[in-house]
Amino acid sequence: MKSPTVAIVGSGPSGCYLAQALRKEWPHAEITLFDRMPVPYGLVRYGVAPDHPGTKNVVRQFERLFERDNIGFAGNVEIGRDIPLDVLREAYDIVVLATGLHGDRPLDIPGADQARVYGAGRLTRLLNDHPDEQGFRPRLGETTVIVGNGNVAIDVLRLLAKSVEEFDNSEITDEVLGRLLATPLRHIHIVGRSPARQAKFDTLMLRELAGLRRARFDIRDLPEPGGEEDKAVAAKLEALRALKRVGQGELDISFHFGWQPESLNTEEDGYRFRFKATDGSKTSLRLTADSVITAIGFTQQPDSHFCKHGLSRTGADPDASQLAPGLYCTGWFKRGPTGTIPENRADAKAVAALILAQAAAMGLGKPGFAALPAAITGKLVDYAGWKRIDAAEVAAAPAGRIRQKIRDTAEMLRIVNDIHQGEPQS
Amino acid sequence: MKIITLFGTETGNAEMVADDIVEALASDFEACAHDMADFDIHDIRQEDVLLLVCSTYGNGELPNSAQPLFDMLVSEQPELSQLRFATFGLGDSFYETFNKGSQIMADQLLALGATEIAERGRHDASSGELPGDVALAWLKTVVSSL
Repeated sequence: MKSPTVAIVGSGPSGCYLAQALRKEWPHAEITLFDRMPVPYGLVRYGVAPDHPGTKNVVRQFERLFERDNIGFAGNVEIGRDIPLDVLREAYDIVVLATGLHGDRPLDIPGADQARVYGAGRLTRLLNDHPDEQGFRPRLGETTVIVGNGNVAIDVLRLLAKSVEEFDNSEITDEVLGRLLATPLRHIHIVGRSPARQAKFDTLMLRELAGLRRARFDIRDLPEPGGEEDKAVAAKLEALRALKRVGQGELDISFHFGWQPESLNTEEDGYRFRFKATDGSKTSLRLTADSVITAIGFTQQPDSHFCKHGLSRTGADPDASQLAPGLYCTGWFKRGPTGTIPENRADAKAVAALILAQAAAMGLGKPGFAALPAAITGKLVDYAGWKRIDAAEVAAAPAGRIRQKIRDTAEMLRIVNDIHQGEPQS
Repeated sequence: MKIITLFGTETGNAEMVADDIVEALASDFEACAHDMADFDIHDIRQEDVLLLVCSTYGNGELPNSAQPLFDMLVSEQPELSQLRFATFGLGDSFYETFNKGSQIMADQLLALGATEIAERGRHDASSGELPGDVALAWLKTVVSSL
């Protein structure tokens, strides 16, 4: 069989795992990972919390794709804006969409569109110095309410609760910390719809909270101890109870379980946030807050260039990995906003197996990268370009930081193209 | 003698380390790597050496791909008194359960009579070191004990 040409749109973990799986079976195929950013790795760089370098370590694997396995990186090219998807499909035998889902799912209650209601995904991007959030200056005030009980909610809670000294060995920047800590928070509420025993966050994430120096925890709506048969649930409840015992700090953190948002109204002294009980008891919870952070999942961003529904044949299986002949999808773009990095690795491997099985019956022979318009290939950032940005970020890292991310795309491109000045300037 | 590297992984980091180990061994030994999920312990011969490369997940649990092999070892209790093995764990010292996954696996082999031939190696994700580099340094101590 002739070696196919493969374009993967999105160089986050799903795209990288897919490239990895295809390369194992197709040593000679031309495989290129496209990204709208000049930098690779998507969610690993911009979604994983900046104080979780261990999780970001997966990048060590992905670097091999480019450094050893002859997979191309084509950054700074947005499919759907710079090149229509159809043009890409004309050029490549196989196109795989792995663009993820990065829009914050909004609260579906009256008043949810107010100015100081912020999405957790957007906040996480800010905390990771994403260029799209350069102008984002959230005003959290003294009291904020985080809605949601997943790991994203806990990430945001932890990042907001840490003092500057607790960010050692992270890649957070002083600029971002300055924006967040401009007015120090005094009280963070976190409210989940499920009762505590069904809360989605991992026990490990709760245990990490116990080390927060500024925090003083108040855990409400906990069931009586004892009688829990499920070991994992018992461990989670115990981790919550343990939080009650720690903390002498000046920042109050209150957990509330079993409350569903009902309405958000503006009063003179801030928002009145009203919740109703999910246990059918007709009781309600009222919180006063300066701001609200929604961490209730992700959805298609309204300005996305393509959505899954628009691409698949009518009547096609909504869970299918194949959208049209030669067009596939993987990761959150395919599956919706659920599952961790390992689960999406498994999905990428399954999609790769499907592509490998179907390729034998495809008419292969499209030229690949060589057929892309020169205007595009001239502006793209390749892997060597990214390594220049990477080196500049690592060189600029102050004490206690792994890197200092560049948050301006123009600055990134300047470093990429600044080939006459020797080492990149920090 | 064949050196069989078995990896238990969720994100693929242990698989990468296993690939590095096989690559480093290939010129001097018959070497191969398998996902623990695809490996039948009965396929092993007495003279073979097993290298376990295993990460840790959740609250110090085995990664998904290691679970079937572990279950097989527990339920079938194979006689492994001739088996020699060594263990390399991946973890993050940030968590108190650092490297527990690889220890669960090693302890099970020990309980079945296998002999551990080298000190356990481990990579700490918070150290900034490349896992492959740490693993290859460990591999030298394993090879010298053969």
